[in-house]
Amino acid sequence: MLAELMLSALLLLVTYWFIVTRRLSSAVSAYSVQSWLLGLVALALYVDTRLIGLLLFGLLIVSVKGILIPRLLRNRVAFALVAGRETSYYVRFPTALLIGAGLSLVGLLAATRLAFQPQLLPQSVLGISLAVFLLGLFTTIARRDAILQVTGLLAAENGLLLLSLVVAPGLSLLIEVAIVLDVLIAVLVMGFLVARMRDAVAGTDTSELTRLRG
Amino acid sequence: MIDPALLLVMLATPLLGGISSALVRSDRVRYALVVPTCLVTLALALTLIARILATGPVSAFANWLYLDDLDAVVLLVVVVVSTLAGAYSIAYFRSDAQGHVLRPGELRKYFGLFHLFTFTMVLATVSGNLILLWTGVTATTFAAAPLVDFYGSHEPLEAAWKFLVLAVAGELIALLGFLLLYEAGIASLGSAYNFSIPVMEQAGPHLTASLGAIAFLMVLVGFGAKAGLAPMHTWLPDAHSQAPAPVCAMLSGAELNCAMLAIVRVLSLVTPANKARAGGLHEALLAFGLLSMAVGVVFLISQRNFKRLLAYSSVEQMGLIAAGFGIGAPVAAVGALLQMITHSLAKSLMFFNSGNLLLRFRTTTISEVRGAIRVAPASAILVIAGALAIAGAPPFGLFISEFTIIRGALLNHAWAVGAGIAALLMVAFLALMEPFNRMVFGQGRGEPLPARAELGLGVLAPGYILLAAVLVLGVWIPGPLHSMLVGASQVVDR
Repeated sequence: MLAELMLSALLLLVTYWFIVTRRLSSAVSAYSVQSWLLGLVALALYVDTRLIGLLLFGLLIVSVKGILIPRLLRNRVAFALVAGRETSYYVRFPTALLIGAGLSLVGLLAATRLAFQPQLLPQSVLGISLAVFLLGLFTTIARRDAILQVTGLLAAENGLLLLSLVVAPGLSLLIEVAIVLDVLIAVLVMGFLVARMRDAVAGTDTSELTRLRG
Repeated sequence: MIDPALLLVMLATPLLGGISSALVRSDRVRYALVVPTCLVTLALALTLIARILATGPVSAFANWLYLDDLDAVVLLVVVVVSTLAGAYSIAYFRSDAQGHVLRPGELRKYFGLFHLFTFTMVLATVSGNLILLWTGVTATTFAAAPLVDFYGSHEPLEAAWKFLVLAVAGELIALLGFLLLYEAGIASLGSAYNFSIPVMEQAGPHLTASLGAIAFLMVLVGFGAKAGLAPMHTWLPDAHSQAPAPVCAMLSGAELNCAMLAIVRVLSLVTPANKARAGGLHEALLAFGLLSMAVGVVFLISQRNFKRLLAYSSVEQMGLIAAGFGIGAPVAAVGALLQMITHSLAKSLMFFNSGNLLLRFRTTTISEVRGAIRVAPASAILVIAGALAIAGAPPFGLFISEFTIIRGALLNHAWAVGAGIAALLMVAFLALMEPFNRMVFGQGRGEPLPARAELGLGVLAPGYILLAAVLVLGVWIPGPLHSMLVGASQVVDR
């Protein structure tokens, strides 16, 4: 159980990377690392329990989210990733870090208040998953760059998949497949729109997208 | 034994339609595929609805698919709207809409995604497994966002991006809700159970009440963004002002209802366990509903673009539907369900009208459209009649459904809610009628009108069919529809 807890804590730590980094390609790497850690949590759980579903889930996460999606992102939006960084921000770095710490605390505390039946993973991992979820959503809101917004959403989604491991390791594999497929399609559509931004705003800064009002 | 097959074929038809539309080379084949695909889906949906009315809910594949009266209401809306929107799309693109010369491959993208959009909405209505329900509602976004971006310049891209980011963020919040809902069932159903509508309905009062309540609030906030509830509605006017008119009809007429279906479904599942405590869940839905109505009405006033005007009307109407369910009285629930149907018909009609005005006047600015009645009488009659319908004037269907919701509020002794809804509807009526009246009958400042020329039958017929339907519903609710609404209201208020 210690291994899973350590991996989850590491996963939360990696999520701060999204808040700190300004380099777009570094956010994609952060997502890849975060997904690998999530996959490893599932695989460690498999080693403890020998539930075949967890093995498949872990492999699915590592292959789709750890390898395939980062590669897709790198291919589709290569034009933006080359030395691309976010130049202007809504929230400055120290403030963002403080808000991030606050949100982590909210997630960890909220988990202790839920009427929760411990399954394989302890309640602290539930708190971590909620914290990761909140940090991901916060990154999406706080960032101006389209790619950082996408990786924020993807990070939040990893938090929810960790939560699904806590809440329902028995939740059918088909359901996990449905969720992961959904993310894959989301990335394809988002990649398509981000690629379109190259023509429209010559970059991926969404603060240029302010023509529609009223 | 026949039902699982019917369900599968109904799902497969638009999916295959989409795939083949994306694969075939000739645009003529693509056009020819649209109406048959939609009609087969429509016929299968009607058959299934008839079977539900005769023998009760249908369930298949270990509850992965499930269809009851509540689903049936939304399924009916989805298939009717998508069939007419499909037929309208053909005529619309043939009429060279927005002065837009179609590039090669654009119709391939449009009709491929159009059928997939229908598929995802049908999936949302027939899913029995709750994660599949989430997947269906979520997938609608991925089909719809590239359609919003169809015209492919700066503004459509901006609208599609806002829509996508807000909707996906909302969907993740909703997924958190569904996972907590699963946790709410573990105490009584064990750690690995069939996470489906019928199983959760049976477990009803034994779900963990507090988790169920939080789950509902998460789904309400998350899918509320997709259903157009304020303050998460901001994508809606942008997307509706930029998307092609038939896509707007699909978004407002069908997709918003799918998100609302998921919200109401979760509410119905967690209500029994939360009956004992003071609840507050219906009140939350009611509060979001009234806020959306107020926000929608405020933005209706002094709106300069008629597609945005219709979009804010959708915010207001979805707010009314949410409020109808939130009142927590069976009569109000029947009203809200009927409102789902009447609003979808009338709003699709109005978005077809917006497309027709665009075809004739080449603008979406209200002040630039004048004297439509003299330019194209048959289209103008449709515009003004549709405006009366969407504003809720008798004898159109919306008058009946809105009246029923208010009656439900009063029967429940929620005097202030009933009066508030009535007042907001009154203001909305004026704010909607005034600009459409100007566009149809206005004299303008003497600038020359476009030459008198009627639009083709292809873009007018779908509108006249919708107008007839919404008029019929204003004077007569057919027996099967009535029993479907009552059955659905019993699902909602368990």
